[in-house]
Amino acid sequence: MTSVLVVAAFAAAYVLIATERIHRVAAALSGAAAMVLLGVVDARVAFFSEKTGVDWNVIFLLLGMMVIVSVLKQTGVFDFVAIWAAKRTRGRPFATMVMLVVITAIASALLDNVTTVLLVAPVTLLVCDRLGLAPVPFLIAEALASNIGGTATLIGDPPNIIIASRAGLTFNDFVANLAPIVIILLVVFIGLCRVLFRSAFTYDPERVAALMALDEREVIKDRGLLLRSGIVLVAVMVGFVAHSALHIEPSMVALLGAGALVALSKLDPPEFLEEVEWPTLVFFMGLFVMVGALVEVGVIGRLGALITDAVGDQYLLASSVLLGGSALLSGIVDNIPYVATVAPLVQTMVDAGNGVGHSTALWWALALGADLGGNATAVGASANVVVIGIAARNGHPISFWQFTKYGSVVAAVTIAVSWLYLWLRYYALG
Amino acid sequence: MTARTLAQPFPTVTPDTDAMDAAQTMARLRWPGLIISGDDGRPYTILPGSEVLRFLIPTYVQDDPGLARALDERASDELFRKLVRSTVRDLLPQPPDYDDLPVVDADATSLEVAAVMARMRSPLVAVVDGDKVVGAITVNRLLEHLLPPAPAS
Repeated sequence: MTSVLVVAAFAAAYVLIATERIHRVAAALSGAAAMVLLGVVDARVAFFSEKTGVDWNVIFLLLGMMVIVSVLKQTGVFDFVAIWAAKRTRGRPFATMVMLVVITAIASALLDNVTTVLLVAPVTLLVCDRLGLAPVPFLIAEALASNIGGTATLIGDPPNIIIASRAGLTFNDFVANLAPIVIILLVVFIGLCRVLFRSAFTYDPERVAALMALDEREVIKDRGLLLRSGIVLVAVMVGFVAHSALHIEPSMVALLGAGALVALSKLDPPEFLEEVEWPTLVFFMGLFVMVGALVEVGVIGRLGALITDAVGDQYLLASSVLLGGSALLSGIVDNIPYVATVAPLVQTMVDAGNGVGHSTALWWALALGADLGGNATAVGASANVVVIGIAARNGHPISFWQFTKYGSVVAAVTIAVSWLYLWLRYYALG
Repeated sequence: MTARTLAQPFPTVTPDTDAMDAAQTMARLRWPGLIISGDDGRPYTILPGSEVLRFLIPTYVQDDPGLARALDERASDELFRKLVRSTVRDLLPQPPDYDDLPVVDADATSLEVAAVMARMRSPLVAVVDGDKVVGAITVNRLLEHLLPPAPAS
């Protein structure tokens, strides 16, 4: 009976999160409260259970990276890089879009997607303004690029952080398995941009002077802080790469980096906490308690056993379904609760395959499906919603269907290419 | 001292007034804002100087003020040319809040005027006597009256 009530409470909270009838933080906390009232979760489980409680590694990794971004933002480095890159293209629209897309993708691999588009969108509007170009295609391309680029690393997209923590995968595992396909996808995406946004590439030589007149050196607000931040960021990246050898969790690397930046930057708390999204962190906590309750009552275990029996050793089929299904669902609902719920099920399947070879590909199928599927619709990923908001505030509204028209094509193509990659690397040649 | 005594005459500006003319009037008379009157001569809303800047400065530069450093004088001139062919109506926040106007009665005390300015964060209030506008009070004028005289050096 308790299992039925837990599933009902979970489903109700999930529906509220998906439909956004109430704020997702309130929905997740209500779901978590229901689990406590049903007697499935107590303080010991919620706060101290590694398997069914709040995953503090995820929370503190996110917190650390948000603090790092807050400090980096103060330096003006993103504006500098974007203006510098746009000037290298001498105002040729497609080359400018390629530069901005590549910058966004790389930044998204190292930082949070939403933060990346928040930092890149204003300078994109400036560049388009100078060149007399319609900014909408550029902004849409950047949102899509941020979701593609974020797929490459453990820290690039919140679903990857959840997967890494649940599966015990390292930063290097993500780089080795996902970065190669993300590079391929980025090349394919740039080709798609050439076709999808072809009408946006009108070149006006007379406007080029206005772009070239921009002085990118002026946007660096504090050169000393930029230097110190750069050194710490490199150290943090080295820490991520070496975290398994050093036996330090990624969350600790991020927190140490954040602490070092706070100490070196001498910024005040409101400044170094500016980019910390407290609602997101609380949302994650509620979500972990909700999913943990499903594990506690054995629902995940039973469901996992059923799926494992059904899959047998047909891991290619399972990977294909996971990739396609995750992409489809992530285009409609937030991919964070989706991955948090599905990760324990995937864990069961991977464990059944002794966690080797073909079975571990399931993790990559989940990551690729959840991360890239977000591109399918205007509401599929937080970065899309943020870009649409910025565009509207600047007098360039993007409708749901306008975004979805481009996003769905990009999602379909990137998922198809990802399937080919999974099949070739882990099944045909693996 | 009452609002009537503190009030100063102010130039009439309507929503259809040329935006450049309105901005230049504000700058020339050193007023922190303008009172916009409707067809019936009643105060319609207030246009603070900051709204003129909000109209001129692109939202993306307001979001990321550091970008303004990359712009040269020519770009600045281009931004300010936006006022040409615009009217005061274009400068007003959309939609204007007609119910919440910084208006005081002519017999309001100076502290009442200060309270309205503080509550509405407005550098300017209109002073009315029934249906008739008798003038306007700027924050500078009010502070001049409220502050104790500076000690002689």
